[in-house]
Amino acid sequence: MISCEDVHKFYPLGHGRKHVLKGINLAVRHGERVGLLGRNGSGKSTLIKLLGGVELPTSGRVQRHMSLSWPLGFTGGFQGSLTGYDNARFIARIYGREYGDLRDFVEDFSELGAHLKMPVKTYSSGMRARLGFALSLAIEFDCYLIDEVIVVGDQNFQRKCHYHLFEKRAERSLIIASHSPDIIRSYCNRAIVLHEGTGAVFDDVEGALNCYAQL
Amino acid sequence: MSRFSDSWRVQRNVIQALMIRELNTRFGRENIGFLWVMVEPLLFAGLVAIMWRVMKGPEEHGVSIVMFVISGYIPLTLFRHAVSRCIKVFEVNASLLYHRQITIFDFLFVRFLIEMIGAMFAFTFIATVLHFFGLFSAPKSMGFLLAGWFLYSLFTLSLCFMIAPLSEFSDVLEKIIPVTTYIMIPFSGTFNMVEWLPVAARPYMLWSPPVSAMEMIRYGLFGDAVYPYYNVSVVFVFSIVCTLIGLVLCRRVRRRLTVE
Repeated sequence: MISCEDVHKFYPLGHGRKHVLKGINLAVRHGERVGLLGRNGSGKSTLIKLLGGVELPTSGRVQRHMSLSWPLGFTGGFQGSLTGYDNARFIARIYGREYGDLRDFVEDFSELGAHLKMPVKTYSSGMRARLGFALSLAIEFDCYLIDEVIVVGDQNFQRKCHYHLFEKRAERSLIIASHSPDIIRSYCNRAIVLHEGTGAVFDDVEGALNCYAQL
Repeated sequence: MSRFSDSWRVQRNVIQALMIRELNTRFGRENIGFLWVMVEPLLFAGLVAIMWRVMKGPEEHGVSIVMFVISGYIPLTLFRHAVSRCIKVFEVNASLLYHRQITIFDFLFVRFLIEMIGAMFAFTFIATVLHFFGLFSAPKSMGFLLAGWFLYSLFTLSLCFMIAPLSEFSDVLEKIIPVTTYIMIPFSGTFNMVEWLPVAARPYMLWSPPVSAMEMIRYGLFGDAVYPYYNVSVVFVFSIVCTLIGLVLCRRVRRRLTVE
């Protein structure tokens, strides 16, 4: 289970500070697929970063009782000056995986071919997303933390993601931030709507989407 | 017990992976690759030693000028590099925090470790080469030499623990660090020994931790040709206090750190 208890986050803003999250409570159990809805700047990415432990809450607690992927998004998690292969080797080392297996999977899944020999900073956001997904699927987490990124890939990539994440690993948990009602509707069984720093948790996705549509 | 050995294994993997990553990004894989890490201390120490040798002759205060300069300059470059590289280290490496097993202490420790290994490689290399030319005699006491290096490294690392988080709080620090490390050279034991000072001034020098460490390095190299003054407890107390303050500051920085 992954849980947030009364999580607050402030960011410095000029001389004052901005209260981005005002007491979020959320519990994600095994196999639950939670959609994260909210307008731009409502704190979706912040919440994803707090869940992933990339940043720490100003107050409140985040607890992780299952393995949780790093946030898969447009940025972060890679060293731009290193090649795709180097990044894969780095990930294999820190997660204690066999590099050979990881490389084979990444080559197959990402279809990046010769690009894997180039620095990641030369990649487009779609290519980064492929690499990030490939790496995190190769590591195998109980819960995947996804920030928007699933929509950037081409059709083929989306099909692959769909197969690996939603069919092959259907029992895994998922926390996904997206603006797309279709994605939330088809992949999630719960949702939380963020608005002005507070979060409303819905056990039915349609309710959440209605609420989001009225913001 | 198995939890401990698990986390030990993770920790070792992380340090190893970060070292390789840092060496790759800093030096690349072309030509001599990571051996570049020892080139700068080597050049510095070698050239300054030649300059002093030409200016002052083969010996001063009864010890070899070349050995004296090299044994002083290489630890000093370790100190200056380690301190300057720990400035803003958290901000620069923040994207690594996407992986929860990596902590901000790992960045700091890895950067320091690379500087330390570079300095020690450089020292061993230059000493061995000069030894064949009869310019560098074998250390009289390996124990003192290593103990001195250990204390010097401990002092440097503990200072890094404090300076790294402070540099995130204030940009002024970044500007004043280079001049500060320059001004402290006379109080670092790099170019002089305590015994060369007037008797009354000697006890004051021992308040500076690197002086004790340098004196031990010199005694390890020259043996009874020099008389070392050192106070190990000053180094330890200073290092422990700096580390503790540093850890508290690091925790505060981590809470506030914003990652893109």
